[in-house]
Amino acid sequence: MSAHEYVVRFSTRQRVEHFVVMSLFVILALTGFPQKFYDSGWAAAVVGLFGGVPQMRWVHRVAGYCLLFATIFHFFFVLLEVVVRKARLSMVPERQDFKDAIHQLRYYLRLEDTPARFDRFDYREKFEYWGLVFGNMIMVGSGLVLLYPMVVARYLPGELIPTAKIAHSNEGLMAFLVVITWHVYNAHFAPDIFPFNKTIFTGRISKHHLQKEHPREFERLFPDESAAAVASAATTPAAPAAEPPAPAPGS
Amino acid sequence: MSLLQHRPWLATGLLAAMFAAPSYGLPEPPKESPAEEAEGCLGCHEDPSIEVAFADGTRRTLQVDRNAFAQSVHFGKVACSECHPGFQEIPHPERRYASEDEFRAGMRQACQTCHFQDYSRYMDGVHHAVAKEGGAAPTCVDCHDAHAVTPPGKPRSRVSDTCSTCHSDVAETYASSVHGRLLAGPRPDDAPVCTDCHRSHDIQDPKSQAFLLRTPETCGGCHSDNQRMKPYGLSTKVMSTYLADFHGMTASLAAPHAEGSTRVTAVCVDCHGVHDITKVDEPGSKVMKENLLKTCQQCHPDAAGDFPAAWLSHFEPSLERAPLVYLTRQFYVIFIPFVIGGLVLQILLHFWRVVVNR
Repeated sequence: MSAHEYVVRFSTRQRVEHFVVMSLFVILALTGFPQKFYDSGWAAAVVGLFGGVPQMRWVHRVAGYCLLFATIFHFFFVLLEVVVRKARLSMVPERQDFKDAIHQLRYYLRLEDTPARFDRFDYREKFEYWGLVFGNMIMVGSGLVLLYPMVVARYLPGELIPTAKIAHSNEGLMAFLVVITWHVYNAHFAPDIFPFNKTIFTGRISKHHLQKEHPREFERLFPDESAAAVASAATTPAAPAAEPPAPAPGS
Repeated sequence: MSLLQHRPWLATGLLAAMFAAPSYGLPEPPKESPAEEAEGCLGCHEDPSIEVAFADGTRRTLQVDRNAFAQSVHFGKVACSECHPGFQEIPHPERRYASEDEFRAGMRQACQTCHFQDYSRYMDGVHHAVAKEGGAAPTCVDCHDAHAVTPPGKPRSRVSDTCSTCHSDVAETYASSVHGRLLAGPRPDDAPVCTDCHRSHDIQDPKSQAFLLRTPETCGGCHSDNQRMKPYGLSTKVMSTYLADFHGMTASLAAPHAEGSTRVTAVCVDCHGVHDITKVDEPGSKVMKENLLKTCQQCHPDAAGDFPAAWLSHFEPSLERAPLVYLTRQFYVIFIPFVIGGLVLQILLHFWRVVVNR
């Protein structure tokens, strides 16, 4: 099997979504953290960069709205693909994911000799996806409460506003910490990945990596090669790039 | 500085004395003390009829009150001629002033010789800015007096009396405020007077955001000081709780970039009032529960319903007060380290296993 053979892993829509969310995440963190850490020197410097607090907040709010729309679009497209194209819901957690997680943990502790054999999305990817989805809902929801406190207080207890501020501030910090530890490790610094897993940008994964990281998906896509690979990985004949069997929803 | 240089008449006298005294050599020049010099000046300037006429037709008395001058911190230390150089010659050479303003402007220069720092601060202040534009604004002697210069803050109430000369309406409002009443009471040293908040020489435009956005620091100077607040049973958390909230955070961020007078956020005085500040539980208090919605509406005209409850009234969230805020905060205090700790542990395990495999 050649290292130059690829499989399409992410559709154009998914790659664009990742790029949009990534950009918005950076903008939101940059314009949000100075407000959380208001008494630090760098916060004042960032505010100066935007020309003032109102200007920085304007950017933060516009980016927040963009994230809200991106989230709505995402679920709209997932729904469309599921209903119209009968796509598989490959991001939904299954029993197997919990088994995989336990297996993988045992493998790390040397209680298993081989790592868990993952399907299209492993439990770590699903965790991050759903973390993003729920985190997003908290951030957008609390952000809207903070943006329209007068409307909220007309119908609901006023205490929700400082509660939203605490939630927004802490959830934002947590999202940032997850991204700079977990996501950056898994996409950049993990020894097999370093320096950069480009799949989410190019949309393509090499067959070699697919077989290594998602063996169960590989088996479904290339049942013949899998059998051959077991016999001898070096002598597997080259195969043209293949389309995945079904477009997978999820970012 | 040579005594002779500034007193040509004295030099003439000395020369005459030298010739008149043949066998004693050069005599010691009779060194005149500041008090002695003042005595000489007061010889004429005690007279109430002594006046100066200006080109614009106005006149001004040149009388100096001996008793008031004797109380001055300068008396006996600073000679008349140090503030009024060039007047040693008698009769004084004729000078022409267009107006009293011009006359006073010349006199003001004298203060900076010794009080350079305060003088340059004054140049940065709003009074100088007004004076520069030709407006009526006080200079050094209007607040400190020219000859009866005494410590400006003794007693403390003297400061507000001085300012009330021009700002009588503000002084009246202040006098009936909680701070004004404290000043008139038995513990005047605890009360903030005008200059504690506005400063004395480099007074900023009180309507400018540069000044207003520093209000938390100004008020916090006393209100976060345990020693000062203890006798009054006032919380010292007022500043930290303000800063932790949306308004305070905005004020901190906006203060270094403040310009103009468009309000950026609510500061202490927007809710509590300025010169009319009251105790929080006093009738008419802008911040008591019954009046709070109206106070919010000053900036948030659409505020209605439970909106004032969005502000925790300088209380730190607890189970009794704002339980939802408290519990949300406690949740994250546990949840963030749990999640991040778990993920980092998994990263380390993964890395370790990869290394072991090699």
